[in-house]
Amino acid sequence: MLEMLSYDFMIRAFVAGIIIAILAAISGSFIVLRRYSMITETLAHSALVGVAVGVIAGSNPLWMAVVAALLSAWIIEYLRSYFHLYSDSVLAIMLSGSLALAVIIVSLAGAFNSSLFSYLFGSILSVTKNDLVVMSLFGVIALSLLGVFYKQLYFIAYDEEVARTSGIKVDMLNFLLVSIVAIIIALSIRIVGTLLIGAMMVIPTVAALRFRQGFAKTILIALLFSVVAVIVGMSSSYFFSLPSGATIVLTLLFIFIFSLIVNRR
Amino acid sequence: MKFISPVFEVSNLTFRANEQSILEEISLTILPGDYCAIIGPNGGGKTTLIRLLLGLEKPTSGHIKLFGQPFKKFKRWSKIGYVPQRAAGLDQNFPATVLEVVKMGRIATQGFFAKATREDREAIEEAMTKMDVTDIQNKLVGELSGGQRQRVMIARALASKPEVLILDEPNTGVDVISQKRFYKLLKELNAQEKMTIIFITHDIGVIADDIGRLFTVNQTLLTCNNPKEAISCDDMSALYGIDAHLIHNHHHH
Repeated sequence: MLEMLSYDFMIRAFVAGIIIAILAAISGSFIVLRRYSMITETLAHSALVGVAVGVIAGSNPLWMAVVAALLSAWIIEYLRSYFHLYSDSVLAIMLSGSLALAVIIVSLAGAFNSSLFSYLFGSILSVTKNDLVVMSLFGVIALSLLGVFYKQLYFIAYDEEVARTSGIKVDMLNFLLVSIVAIIIALSIRIVGTLLIGAMMVIPTVAALRFRQGFAKTILIALLFSVVAVIVGMSSSYFFSLPSGATIVLTLLFIFIFSLIVNRR
Repeated sequence: MKFISPVFEVSNLTFRANEQSILEEISLTILPGDYCAIIGPNGGGKTTLIRLLLGLEKPTSGHIKLFGQPFKKFKRWSKIGYVPQRAAGLDQNFPATVLEVVKMGRIATQGFFAKATREDREAIEEAMTKMDVTDIQNKLVGELSGGQRQRVMIARALASKPEVLILDEPNTGVDVISQKRFYKLLKELNAQEKMTIIFITHDIGVIADDIGRLFTVNQTLLTCNNPKEAISCDDMSALYGIDAHLIHNHHHH
């Protein structure tokens, strides 16, 4: 069982996976409570544009994914606030638009191949040393920002107007939150894949909410679920040679169903 | 004599939404220690007036000064406690205990990374004691009754040690007995801690004796006087457009 840890690529995958599990559970909780879950799907598709550019230009797709997801997040917030468009419409437009752009870039370069498949559904084999450095760097930045602004973000999620009147910089923090989420999503696509990362951001919190606890406990439960799902999912990916994103998300689904059954009302 | 800058100084405030006039040419001054009620018909612009005072809406024209400063320069937002009307409309499934919600009242005053200081803890405890929510501090806010939830929201506002407390229909969904206790508490905060209190209400009959100043708002500001002079049947008729006696029976449903 533990023999899988004798492979360097597995160690890297586990480290990367656990970084993502922690970040996704914490930032996901704010996104879920603000009813903004769908932004994760949109940003993931935008990150794919970056991957496409990276694959073709021969630069690190992970860096490009971070840039693309960040740009997309800022465009979404700008469209929402400046033109007062409905959030879900903006998300739908940006999702399809990004995917179309990504497909065209990849097609023009004739680069539809197996490596792209791993970006869609994740692969434990794909995490390079360089990736791990990038993920740790951005991971530490994202986690410290979440740590610093945790209370403010929580206040805003519960009661945005009173947070605003008590002097909290709501607009700045909303902008910061989507930026952090964009970075986390871009970093996640190696392990979880763009088509599956949304579940990783959303399910741990939704499952944890079923246990009806206060905020601090809810986040801890979500963290636990997230980390367990990554460990179980990546181990099954190793043993059954399946895409790691799919095994992680299926594990999360089992956890979700479990939390529904345990907390019937 | 020391010059005291007013808490709010509003001049010629007009607010229109989609070409529709909500408030027209409102001018008023609220001084530190004032105990004010705002009354008026539904849709008359009471809540909008409060939202303008808090900076949640931008005026179409006119000026508002807070503690003598224009909005852009004003920084001491923690000095203003706000209890919105729609406390009951907040997400009932939100994962928050009573204690966690009251603690929110201290967040804006804490620095980044800052751990709760002794001062924070004392303010939180004091606010919970005053609003009698200490016993339910570990309950989830979604499990509370309407009255309990309202008290938690006020405790959160008090936790920031505000100099001004603004409440939008604070006693909607609260039974009459706790209403009385509630007004007594407001009066105490006003008298003992010199807190400026501004609230929107429909219960003018219950509290007329205690109010320092009464603002009647229906698009324009009709009166801003001592309540005993203000509440005449004529004013009420002008305000509500119906016979004033009906109103007293009308607002309890």
